[in-house]
Amino acid sequence: MGFEMTMSTATEESAAAAAVAGERVGVEIYPLSRYYFGVRDVAAGGGSGGGGVRETAADRAIRLKANFAAHGLRTTVHGVLLVELFDHPHLLLLQVRNSSFLLPGGRLRPGEQDVQGLKRKLSSKLSLVGHQDDEDEDDKWQIGECIGMWWRSEFDAVPFPYILPNTRAAKECIKLFLIKLPVSRQFVVPRNMKLLAVYGPIIAGIPNLLSKFSFNIISD
Amino acid sequence: MVNSSSPVVNVYPLANYTFGTKEPKMEKDTSVADRLARMKVNYMKEGMRTSVEAILLVQEHNHPHILLLQIGNTFCKLPGGRLKPGENEIEGLKRKLCSKLAVNSPSFPPNWQVGECVAVWWRPNFETVMYPYCPPHITKPKECKKLFIVHLSEREYFAVPRNLKLLAVPLFELYDNVQRYGPVISTIPQQLSRFQFNMVSS
Repeated sequence: MGFEMTMSTATEESAAAAAVAGERVGVEIYPLSRYYFGVRDVAAGGGSGGGGVRETAADRAIRLKANFAAHGLRTTVHGVLLVELFDHPHLLLLQVRNSSFLLPGGRLRPGEQDVQGLKRKLSSKLSLVGHQDDEDEDDKWQIGECIGMWWRSEFDAVPFPYILPNTRAAKECIKLFLIKLPVSRQFVVPRNMKLLAVYGPIIAGIPNLLSKFSFNIISD
Repeated sequence: MVNSSSPVVNVYPLANYTFGTKEPKMEKDTSVADRLARMKVNYMKEGMRTSVEAILLVQEHNHPHILLLQIGNTFCKLPGGRLKPGENEIEGLKRKLCSKLAVNSPSFPPNWQVGECVAVWWRPNFETVMYPYCPPHITKPKECKKLFIVHLSEREYFAVPRNLKLLAVPLFELYDNVQRYGPVISTIPQQLSRFQFNMVSS
C-alpha cells in the first residue's frame, strides 16, 4: 500500500511498515489552482437524476427493496478528494440542486470490486464528456486506502460507523476512500462542485478520519 | 496495486481477560487549571508535548467495546500519557500501558502489540480545546496526541491501580456522545469504522 505518486517497491514496503509501526503516512495534496473545473450539461439519458423525471421517495424505497431482495447488501463507495486552499486541506464535494452536498461516488454493481467501482463512478461523475467509458480514463484515478465504513440497518435509517448490535442484516454499507489527486487535472462535472461544507455526520466526520495522515502541501 | 480489503483486528471476549488491582496511581494535577499550568511549564522546558494513547478492544455480544480508565465518578480517559523528550512513540506507549495496566512483576513482562495510528489531535493553545488537524494559522501547537490501536492477545492479565476503574464501553455508547466522553473518545467509532473486526467467541 503506497501513498506516493511514483512509488518504488522499497518505498511501498517502508510505507507499509511505517503504517504498522504507528507512524503517520504522508499524503500529497496540491493547490486548488492546479485543477481546472469545467461544467457540462447533464447527460440526456444516463446517470441518476439525469434528464428525466425525479424519483419520488416512495419509488426509491421500492427500488432499493427490490435490489436488496435480488442482490443483498447494497454497497456504495465514495471518494474523498483533497486540495489545498489557504494552507489547509479542503474537500471537494458535489453540490446537488443547491441544497445537499455529496461525496463523489455511488452504488457498486453486483459482484463489482470496491476500487473498480469507485473508479467507474469517479470517471462518470467527474470526467470529460464523451470519455466516460474509456478504460484509460478509469485507470487515471489513484484510489488510496479505505478511511471509513458506515452501516445502515434500514435504507432510510441514519448511518452508523459500526454494525449495529442486534441487527439481522445490514441493508447498506457506505465506504469512504481517500483519492490521490494528480499534480494537475481537468475536472468536468455535470453539477456545481464546491469546496468543503460540513453537512451530515458522514461528511462532518471526515476531518477525524483524515487526522492520522500528515499532508504534504506542494505549492507552486 | 491498491489493497482494498480492510485491515483485520481480532477482538476477544471481555471474559477472556482478568483484572486485578495494584497500588494507586494518583493524578498529578488536581484540577484542569493545574493541568494547563503544568503543561505550560513543561512547554517552556521541552517544547510541544507529544502524548500517546491506546485503543484496546474487547467484545461483548459481538459488539466492540473499548477499555477506558475512569477517574472519580465521571471522567474517562484512554490508557496512555506524555512521552519523555526524545522518546520513541511506540516505546513510550508500551511504557504507559505497563504503568497503567500491567502487573509490576518482572516474570510477566506483558507483550503489547502496538498497531496503527488511527487518529492525531492537536492542541493549539493552553486550553482544553483540541482539533483533529493543526489549524493553519497555528505555527506552535502546544500538544500533539496520537491514538494507536493496540492488539490484545487472546488472554491477558491486567492490574489496574486501585484508585481507577477500568470500564469496557461499547462503540454505540461512545458514538455522538461528546458531552460525556469529549471529542477525542466519542469519535473513536468513526476512526475504527474502516477496520474489519473478527469477533472471536469463547
